[in-house]
Formats: sequence, structure tokens, C-alpha cells
Amino acid sequence: MRILMFTWEFPPLISGGLGIACYGIVNALLKRGHQIYLVLPTKEEVFFPLTEIEDVDKLPVQFLNHQKNVEYLRKVFKKEEERFDYIGMTRFPESYFSIEDNKFFLLRSKILFETSYEEILIKQINYGQLSENNLFRKVAEFTGRAQRYAKTIEHDIIHVHDWLTYPAGIIAKKVSRKPLITHIHATEFDRTGGIGDERIHKIEYAGMQLADSVIAVSKYTSEMVIDRYRIDTKKVYIVHNAIMKRKIKHEKDRIFKGPTIIFLGRITIQKGPDYFLKAASIVLKKHPESRFIMAGSGDMERKMLYQSARGRLLHKFLFTGFLNRDEVNKIFSASDIYVLSSVSEPFGIAPLEAMSFGIASIISKQSGVSEIVKNALKVDFWDVNKLAESINFLIENPEERKELGLKGKREVEKIAWDSAALKIEEIYRRLL
Amino acid sequence: MINILFYFQVHQPFRLKHLRTLDIGTNQDYFDDKKNRDIIKKIAEKCYIPTNTLLLKLIEKYHGKYKVSFSITGTAVEQFKLYAPEILESFKELSRTNCVEFIGETYYHSLAFLFDPDEFLEQIEMHKEMLLSEFGYSPVTFRNTELIYQNRIADYVWETEGFKIIIAEGADRILDWRSSAYAYKDYRKNLTLLLKNYKLSDDIAFRFSNKGWKEYPLTVEKYVKWIEEISDTEKMGRELFINLFMDYETFGEHQWEDTGIFKFMEKLPDVALKTKKIKFKTPQDVLSLVNYQQESLSYDKFVSWADMERDLSAWYENDMQKNALESLSYILRKIKDEGKKDLLPIARKLSTSDHFYYMCSKYFQDGDVHKYFSPYNSPEQAYIYYMNAIADLEERF
Repeated sequence: MRILMFTWEFPPLISGGLGIACYGIVNALLKRGHQIYLVLPTKEEVFFPLTEIEDVDKLPVQFLNHQKNVEYLRKVFKKEEERFDYIGMTRFPESYFSIEDNKFFLLRSKILFETSYEEILIKQINYGQLSENNLFRKVAEFTGRAQRYAKTIEHDIIHVHDWLTYPAGIIAKKVSRKPLITHIHATEFDRTGGIGDERIHKIEYAGMQLADSVIAVSKYTSEMVIDRYRIDTKKVYIVHNAIMKRKIKHEKDRIFKGPTIIFLGRITIQKGPDYFLKAASIVLKKHPESRFIMAGSGDMERKMLYQSARGRLLHKFLFTGFLNRDEVNKIFSASDIYVLSSVSEPFGIAPLEAMSFGIASIISKQSGVSEIVKNALKVDFWDVNKLAESINFLIENPEERKELGLKGKREVEKIAWDSAALKIEEIYRRLL
Repeated sequence: MINILFYFQVHQPFRLKHLRTLDIGTNQDYFDDKKNRDIIKKIAEKCYIPTNTLLLKLIEKYHGKYKVSFSITGTAVEQFKLYAPEILESFKELSRTNCVEFIGETYYHSLAFLFDPDEFLEQIEMHKEMLLSEFGYSPVTFRNTELIYQNRIADYVWETEGFKIIIAEGADRILDWRSSAYAYKDYRKNLTLLLKNYKLSDDIAFRFSNKGWKEYPLTVEKYVKWIEEISDTEKMGRELFINLFMDYETFGEHQWEDTGIFKFMEKLPDVALKTKKIKFKTPQDVLSLVNYQQESLSYDKFVSWADMERDLSAWYENDMQKNALESLSYILRKIKDEGKKDLLPIARKLSTSDHFYYMCSKYFQDGDVHKYFSPYNSPEQAYIYYMNAIADLEERF
């Protein structure tokens, strides 16, 4: 099948789990012989035609504009970074149009909108262009191009990931009349741990209403979608995420002599870093030899830094800042206990990765991943004392800790993207 | 008579590398050799060498009538030896004129008095030994890091052999209606206390090139006139002391050469000495000059010469600074308890006050100054690198 796929993140340019999940899905779909035309928030109007398995890493580029494509093909790039620079692919896509440039582009596009959901969506997007918020403007621009992509690229199905690309998916569907699948990796409720941004809710709502099928990454998320957005249960499917097999084996490579406990992810309210910090301050009283690492970056990073300092956790609670893939592997190799403290985690690939390193893991019950793994300790995110007790238990019982790690490792090795791809393929077939 | 006492602080910290958590345990040197070398070389060229040359010329020209005093930290001397030995040589040349007084302090320009009096006294001893071996000099004047002062510090210094004078910031809240132009005693009347004239000091150190200042441009004549006006208020013939204390980097670094700062300094003794009322002295001369009963002043709270607040807040206010200092204190104690002598100089380099200054998160005006002097992008970054260094140090046990 020929799949037109819109997503906001894809390796090597990722900030979180979305890019990693998309990579896993695309890779497994390519293995099953599908062709994927990937559209990312690049500055230039390009897409990535992926037909061979290797393409998932090679990321061949095609410009929509013929002349520009000819120029691109003539260029020689010394490094991959140069090529990505050329097409304007950055980790944090920024708006590159002025507000005047793209005012009400949808009004000009002469697309006829028939349903009230479409109206909701278009309103949000048109306002978005005038927004001071760079992300909204970027989404508006991304959406504005969808029409051209849908016209140029031959496809059988449209598959979009998270709200940032839902409006683009709707536009594409209007142009090509092909079935649309919205894949939900996280809702605004998860990200904000509460109410969130109304505009995003509206986009999520309209996007899922207009989709032919909705894929949720867990039962936890499907319930959220059905409860909060009143999406028809018949069109909601659960496809759990998985992890890629690691090519390089990483041996344990300690940083600290003492037991090392790690938080890894974006430092945002969704991930519950404050619960991790509170548990750390309890554990450190009993086990001053332990070391806590908060790995990642995010809007709560400074707050966590100040809180750890105010708690006088000395040099026993450290911050790594943003880590790239290699560094994540290194930090996992140095860790004994992994904690997922998320307030609301639709899935959670990071705990699977941690477990694949044989790290004993403690996982928030408010997560999708806790539905599918057995060999991990599970706690409610808010139960800081229970979390601290669990960490203490694993520190004090190294044999049990090793066993839990080993069992967890064996368990997650069986969780592969292939079975996820099979399910996705089945959902595609039903729509054709 | 009125006496100008110049005192210049010469200090360079060992700046830290951008140490990451993943660097811990990889046997890294914590200090940024390249950055430290570049900075020393740059300041040598812009400030140390030309200013030393100028001072030497003035001292020779005025045959003992022009004098200055320095406090040079151990970390500065170590880096001169590593990166620019000619600077140390030129200070030695100055010291041979006998018109230069060297002032004692902690070797590491540290905040040790805040958390460990023993460490504080040990670092003072180290500095004395350094002055003796490098310059053949035994100091009688003490000044604490960044002029941080409090009664307790006077007590410690009094216990240390040789010190008779201590210098501090002439903060309004201590002086009240008094003038910094008189010599005082500390609260127990043990040490002579000399206080910085912050107005006249900052006129040179901060305002000299400020075009928005109503006195700009500052001419030597105008400046000397201000000093004379102070002496006019003294009707009983008491000796007055105008204590001009500042960073040595004022000359050529903070105030660039094109501001005319060197010309100002060159002309100052000429105009001042012609008045026949003004002399140039150093702190130790005060002991024999003072011709009145010195009033004792009590400093209960910390004062310093930093920022608008003139207190400890530049180094010890936010939680990052406090947590970092506690971590340092912890590691120093552990090193001493377990006799890890090889780790001691490294931990002590981390006691230098600048590391805490970089973590200062006060905004507004002073934040800008901190930013100017910081090798890092933010106080949080400075804190992260520092804490990684301390964490690494503990893994070396």
C-alpha cells in the first residue's frame, strides 16, 4: 500500500517518544512491503519517499517543485547534517513565514468545508496563523501545504500522528478522498496533566471525529479518547508501541559506585519529575550512597533544579540536560533502577528501553506500558512514599533487583514492532 | 594630611569545564585549561603588563612618594606560572622597589570562613607561605575575599600571627554618619580597620568611562579637588585616609585603554602631590601615621564590596549556591577525614568564590555584571558543572 504519512518528529530529529514510535512503525511497515511517503515540518516543501527498508535511515528527499528537485539532485553533501540543513529540518521547527504571508490561506485554497468539525478545525488553524505562539503558526503553515502534497503524491491511505498533523490529514483527505487514520500517541490531557489548551483540544476532537479510524497506543489512551472526546468506539483500535532491537550490546558501564536511579524523559508536568524528586529526597535519607539522575530537558527543568537544591540533596541529584541517542544508551548502561513517574503516559517507550538494558524498573500505573509488562514494579504516580519504598527495596535487595531486571529484559525482547505493523496493516485493509 | 591608599585585587579563578554527568568517572581534569590560558593571556596583555609597567615608572619617578598595595591570590599566581610567567616576574620587579605592600588573604580567594574556620585559617597560612616564597614578604594587612567582613572574621585574623590591619567595605549601614576617611578599630579593638571609600573607588572602577554619568569625563584635576574637599572638613589635624580599593583588572580590562584610564593614573600623582596636602601611602603606614584614638566599629552582619547590596548575596543567597557550598563542605571534610591528600588541592580550587558568583541569579542591574564576568550561559549551567565536579570528586575515593 502507498501511505501518505504526516508526522512532526522522525529520527534523527526527535525530542521525545513520538519520533521513536514513528520510526518503529515505518520500519516495520517497510519490511511488510508498504511504501511510505513521509512529510515532516521541514522549511522546504519536500517529502521523503520510503520504499526500501534502508530508506528509514537514509531518508531520501524529494522536492515538490521540479526545478528545486533538479537542483537538489545536483548538490553534493559532505555530511548528513548539511543535507538536513539544506531542506531546513530542525529539531524545533520554527515558523518561517511572516503573519502577513500566510493570512487565511485556507480561505484562498478554495476547499469547500462541509461539516461542523471541519469548521472547528479551520477556525483553529486560521487563528493559529495570527498567533504569537510559534508552534501554532508552524502547524498552520504545515497544514497549508497539505493540499499540494495530497495532489502530488499518489497514495491509498493517509496516516497522521498527533494533533500537530491532524489538520494536514483532514486537508489531504478532502483533496484525495482517501481514508484517514489518526494515530494518537498523547492527548492534550496527558501532556498538561489537566485541562490544557482549548485550541488543541478542539483540533484533537475534530481530527478524531473526521478520521475513518483512530489508533490509540494503549487501552489507557483508548479509554481517554472515548471518555473525553466521545469518539465512536467502533472506529478506535489499540496498537501498543514496541521497541527496536538494539544493534550494539551495551555492557554495564558504571558512573557511580552507589546505586544509580534514573528518570529519563522530557522534564514536563506530564512526566511527573516532581514525584521522582520527592521520592529521591526520601530515599537519600536512608541511602545517602545512592545517586539520582534526571536526564532530559523541558520546561520544568529549572524548577526541578531549584527544588533539588532547596532540598539540599547535595551532589546526589544530578541533571544531564538533553541527551542524544548514544548518550541515552550510556546513561542506561550506568543505571540500576529506572523510574517512570508520569502523571499520564499514553504509552511510554522509555521504560521498555530501560528494561531492555536489564534495568529494574518502577512504572507509573497511569501509563499504557504498565498494561503490557509484567516484570516491573508498578506504583501510582502520586504515591511518593510507595515509590520511595520500592526504590529502597531494590537498593536493599540486589539479588531481587538483578532478577527483576533480567526477567524484564527477556520480556521486552519479545515486544516487537512487527506485530504492531501487522495490526496497523489490518486496520488499513478494513478501510480499503 | 590626607593619604591615598591604593589597594588592587589581583585574582583569577580556575574556571570549570562544561562537565557533564556522563563525564563523571572518566578521569577528567575539571578545569578548562584552554579558557583559563586564553583569559590570562588576554588580561596580561590588556592589563597586568601595561599597568605594572606604568606603576613601576611612577614609583621610580616619584622616589618613594608613590606607593600601592596588592593582594594577589594563590590561584592567580599558579595560573601566571602556568600560562604567563612574565606577569609574576613583573610583580616581583614591583616588589623590589619597596613601595609595594602585599596584603594577606585566603590562598584560594574562597568562602571558607562561611563553613569551616579551620579551612579558612589553613588557606590564610598557605597564602602567607606563597607571599614569602614568591616575594619574600610577610603581610601585616589582611583582607578577606571580596572584602567580605564581619566581627567573627576579625577574631580569626587576630588569632593568626602577624596581622595588625584588616580592610573592609565602607558600607553606609555600618559607618552611619561617620567618614571612611578615618582609621578605626575592629569591635574588640585588636586590629586597625580601614574602610573603602566606595564613592571615590567606584568613580574610577565603574563610572570612569560612563558617558551617562554627570561628572563624565573625569579629569585628574576634578578628582583631586574632591579629595582635597574631604580634607577641608578636618579641622583638628588628624590624618585622613582615602582608601581606593578596586580590582586590578579595572585598568585596561574593565576600563579599556582608549577610555584614558592609564593617562588618568599617570597624571594623578603629579597633580595630587603638587597640592602638598596629599600623599600616597599603603595600609601598613597607617599604624605609624595615625594620630588619634581609633573608634571601634562593630560589624554584626556580613558586608562585602559586591553588587548594590554589599553583602553575601552575590555568592550565598539562592538555593543552588547554598546546596553547592554544602556539597563542597561535605567533600572537603571527607577528604580531610580520610586523608586523601591528592584530592585536597582540587577541592580547594572549587572553594574559590567565583564559582558561586557564577551561580548568582539576582536579576536587574547586578545580574548583568555577573553575566559579564561569567564564562557560562546561565547560573543554572554553572551550578550543573560545579555539582558534576563535586560528584566526580566523591567517586575518586
